[in-house]
Amino acid sequence: MQYAFNRIGLCSVLATLVACTGDIGAGGDPPNPNNMGTGGATTQPLKCVASQAPSVGVSPLRRLTRSQYNNTVRDLLGINTTPAVDFALDEKVGPFFSNASAPISDLLAEQFLKAAETLADTAVTSKLPTLVPCDAATGDAACGAKFVDTFGLRAFRRPLQPDERASMVALFESGRTTVGFAEGVQRVIQAMLQSPQFLYHYELGQQPAGAKDVVNLDSYILAERMAYYLWDSMPDAELLRAAGAGDLSTPAKLRSQANRLLSDARAADTIASFHRQWLGTDQISSMEKDKAVYPTYTAELRDAMAAETGRFADYVIRAGDGKLATLLTAPFSFVSSGPLAALYGVTVPANQDPSKPVNLDPAKRAGIMTQPGVLAIMSHADQSSPIRRGKLVREQLFCQTLAPPPPGVDLTPPAPDPNASTRQRFEKHRTDKICAACHTLIDPIGFGFENYDGVGAFRATEAGKPVDASGTLTGTDVDGDFSGVLELSQKLAKSQEVRDCVAQKWFNFGFGRTAGSDDACSVQAVTDAFSKTNNIRDLLVELVATDAFRYGRFEKGAP
Amino acid sequence: MTRPVFSRRTFLGSIGAAGMGALVPTLEAEAAAPGGVKKRLILLTSPNGSVHTDWKPGFDGTSLTLSKALAPLEAHKKDILVLDGLGWQYGDGPGVDHMRICMMWNGSPMLTGKDFSNSTGDRPCGWGGGISVDQQVANHLATQQMVTTPFKSLEFGVYQGKHHIYTRVSYAGANQPIPTEPDPAVMFARLFKDAGQNLGTADLAKLQARRKSVMDAVLGNLTSMQTRVSKSDKLKIDSHLAAVRSVEQRLAGSGTAGPMATGSCTPPTLPATKLEPLVNDNYPAISRLQLDMMTIALACDMTRVASMLWSSASSDIRFTWIGIKTGHHTISHDTGATARTQMTQIHTWYSGELAYLMDKLKAVQEGGATLLDNTLIVWGNELADGAAHSQQPIPVVMAGHAGGVLKTGRYVDFGKKKHNPLLVSICNLMGLPDTKFGSLDDGSGALPGLT
Repeated sequence: MQYAFNRIGLCSVLATLVACTGDIGAGGDPPNPNNMGTGGATTQPLKCVASQAPSVGVSPLRRLTRSQYNNTVRDLLGINTTPAVDFALDEKVGPFFSNASAPISDLLAEQFLKAAETLADTAVTSKLPTLVPCDAATGDAACGAKFVDTFGLRAFRRPLQPDERASMVALFESGRTTVGFAEGVQRVIQAMLQSPQFLYHYELGQQPAGAKDVVNLDSYILAERMAYYLWDSMPDAELLRAAGAGDLSTPAKLRSQANRLLSDARAADTIASFHRQWLGTDQISSMEKDKAVYPTYTAELRDAMAAETGRFADYVIRAGDGKLATLLTAPFSFVSSGPLAALYGVTVPANQDPSKPVNLDPAKRAGIMTQPGVLAIMSHADQSSPIRRGKLVREQLFCQTLAPPPPGVDLTPPAPDPNASTRQRFEKHRTDKICAACHTLIDPIGFGFENYDGVGAFRATEAGKPVDASGTLTGTDVDGDFSGVLELSQKLAKSQEVRDCVAQKWFNFGFGRTAGSDDACSVQAVTDAFSKTNNIRDLLVELVATDAFRYGRFEKGAP
Repeated sequence: MTRPVFSRRTFLGSIGAAGMGALVPTLEAEAAAPGGVKKRLILLTSPNGSVHTDWKPGFDGTSLTLSKALAPLEAHKKDILVLDGLGWQYGDGPGVDHMRICMMWNGSPMLTGKDFSNSTGDRPCGWGGGISVDQQVANHLATQQMVTTPFKSLEFGVYQGKHHIYTRVSYAGANQPIPTEPDPAVMFARLFKDAGQNLGTADLAKLQARRKSVMDAVLGNLTSMQTRVSKSDKLKIDSHLAAVRSVEQRLAGSGTAGPMATGSCTPPTLPATKLEPLVNDNYPAISRLQLDMMTIALACDMTRVASMLWSSASSDIRFTWIGIKTGHHTISHDTGATARTQMTQIHTWYSGELAYLMDKLKAVQEGGATLLDNTLIVWGNELADGAAHSQQPIPVVMAGHAGGVLKTGRYVDFGKKKHNPLLVSICNLMGLPDTKFGSLDDGSGALPGLT
């Protein structure tokens, strides 16, 4: 199977451009790296060569992301705080957070220290009886050692090695003998929360002499992988039990656990998180709009937009039919009364069940590509952006990559003009030869979104004239003209390339790295399963049965 | 030179005896530091290049006539040194255009990699490929001059929403970007708050004992992990270990994670309503607050090395407070007259921030001199001309006197010269003996004529 990465290669061949706009704070997103798995500068389609031997790419040591840290301490200690919101920012791999490359600095070490101190103090003050395996009032050395084992298993997501256990027991005793039992507990929690065994997803170390390059991963590592992939948090007691009992040894057992995890509420956050990062709506919290142009844009509307897409996606995948087509075309969403309902022009019934979606006007709305958060983040502060919207479709739905504009090109979007439509104002992209070569790939998609303004409100007219929302797809497996996003979304829902792209995005998200040539057969297995049912839930489950999930590859070279 | 205003004792006064042992020999070593002056270094970085004709000042051999872009520095023009003609002639290695912001202070190419790119085949790159000059100086102070300020260096920011090659200018080494802190409330907590504050002697002793035993165990776990990971993963654990050691040393030195703020080292007042870092129009207020805290941190010897990256390479901040609605990066690519004027207005705003910082530093007396006299400020950029993405001449301004050695009040044009010698000069002005800096250095030594 070939993946549709490379169609836009002609862009760089022609040395042409895509309008780029500066990005407040960090410049452009890291690129779509799906096609960089083999490290070359040009796109390399993944190709699965059938083989008996398992194949998997190298997985770098990754540090917990900020959300993983928050979720993990919540599940580990039973404390509902979010200390990591002030931590130094996470790296991204592709559109998804993954701390895979750069090491930490003094700043983060300090932040880990302060968070650990506060958390350990809170835990001992308010949760001590739930954390220790005996009566804390009469706790002794034996109970402390048992606490080190039981808490350590959960904090490190695996049984402690003998040297780790000895060190933690000694630390416990240093507190117990000088101050008391609770002090011992506090010291152990405080130390474990700052230890690399807690802070990193540890998978494979150095290759032992005589070992194969690709090996089965330890069952505790499989439990950890699955929990962070589907819950963005630590394994629960059942997953740790299954790891200890060898109940994660077959694809069938792994699928069964994945289904269990998907049925848990914790999966809702993960699914929401995937869609926010994938579609860029994770940036909504800092999205600003020109008040003169969009007076209805308020913090309340912003927060409702930010919540909507994740909530909708979770409903489709875990409560609804799970179909990619539904995600892309459903005429319903999650709208509470207030400014978002006003923007949609719907009235939410007073007795609306909050677990059920609200029906939208099917002539105006269809799935994620028509959700205000997505449309607004892919806009400018004072106008819509056909460029950003077209790029979103190319890069995130078709997994294509686009060349940046050459230096010296005026990237200022044409100023809003009460007498000219957006399409007219961007006419230069078609008439200027240099612009046209790339913009003919972007603008004809983006113009199809023109029924939605810069905050995602529907508009039938612009500059006093009816909106022309006709568009064209080229360089895809669903080429052709369309009128408006409703028709575009129908095309996306039928596209095999979009289906394959979504599978790769989930691989990128779930594994914290991009698929390379060693992962080609794993990606194919997943896309094949996904193609059969079109059900995203099947895609999510099938990922844990792949070689890429079950095996690890040692890094080449001596340590 | 003595430091009559802000004494290290200010911090030590409230500290238990536990931490003193480590500090006493250090104080003696510091007293013998070369020249006896406690030199400070500040690196400033603003983005998107400049309009050179609006930036270049006049100079008649004795005094400067400031340009539009530098006009706010009029009161300080005897204390600045404008350097023209420097830049990098970096060809076809990894990384393009704005990604090269890290080169300003490390003089080395970006690493090969696929972390950052915005094109199919157009030279993606990894993080920066070498140590930055501020960290080189900080390391030297710590290891050669035995300076044990609570923070080896402090990295300030204003608007940085992503951990990205565009938002990092300070590097501990190749692939080791040091994050900025763009939230003044978080920086405030880092500098001025600690669990050890307001504790009685017994409770403070208990806290210190716990911290020591915990840190020892954490270091033990890190050391154990070092032997269990692969070669490239070991670099991450090594850096982690070094970071924890650095924090541990601070604990041992001061007894708390942040210095006690007393006397003249009083923290600034944070606004009653939190200044959210990712709100465009909070930009000027956060800039001032961060510069205030930088001044206090340097004056109180919390650190000797600080940097400020206001936004990021390619930043599209809208300078609405000076009447500019379009984003900075967008404007930088527009070669029309209006946009060029706005580019310079933005540059002028940044000069005003430098002037503010210089005012603050001048107001702190150190013996017969001011803090500005003992400080070297260097202000750089990731581009020369923003529209052309050119790399030469980068607008560079030095300010302060680096302990009295920098000859200021001048403009020097180096024609067309690699900027690595600038980094060598920064080292030398700060008392380091380096003769080369960065892997692109051709060995031509320091810039001539600065001292």
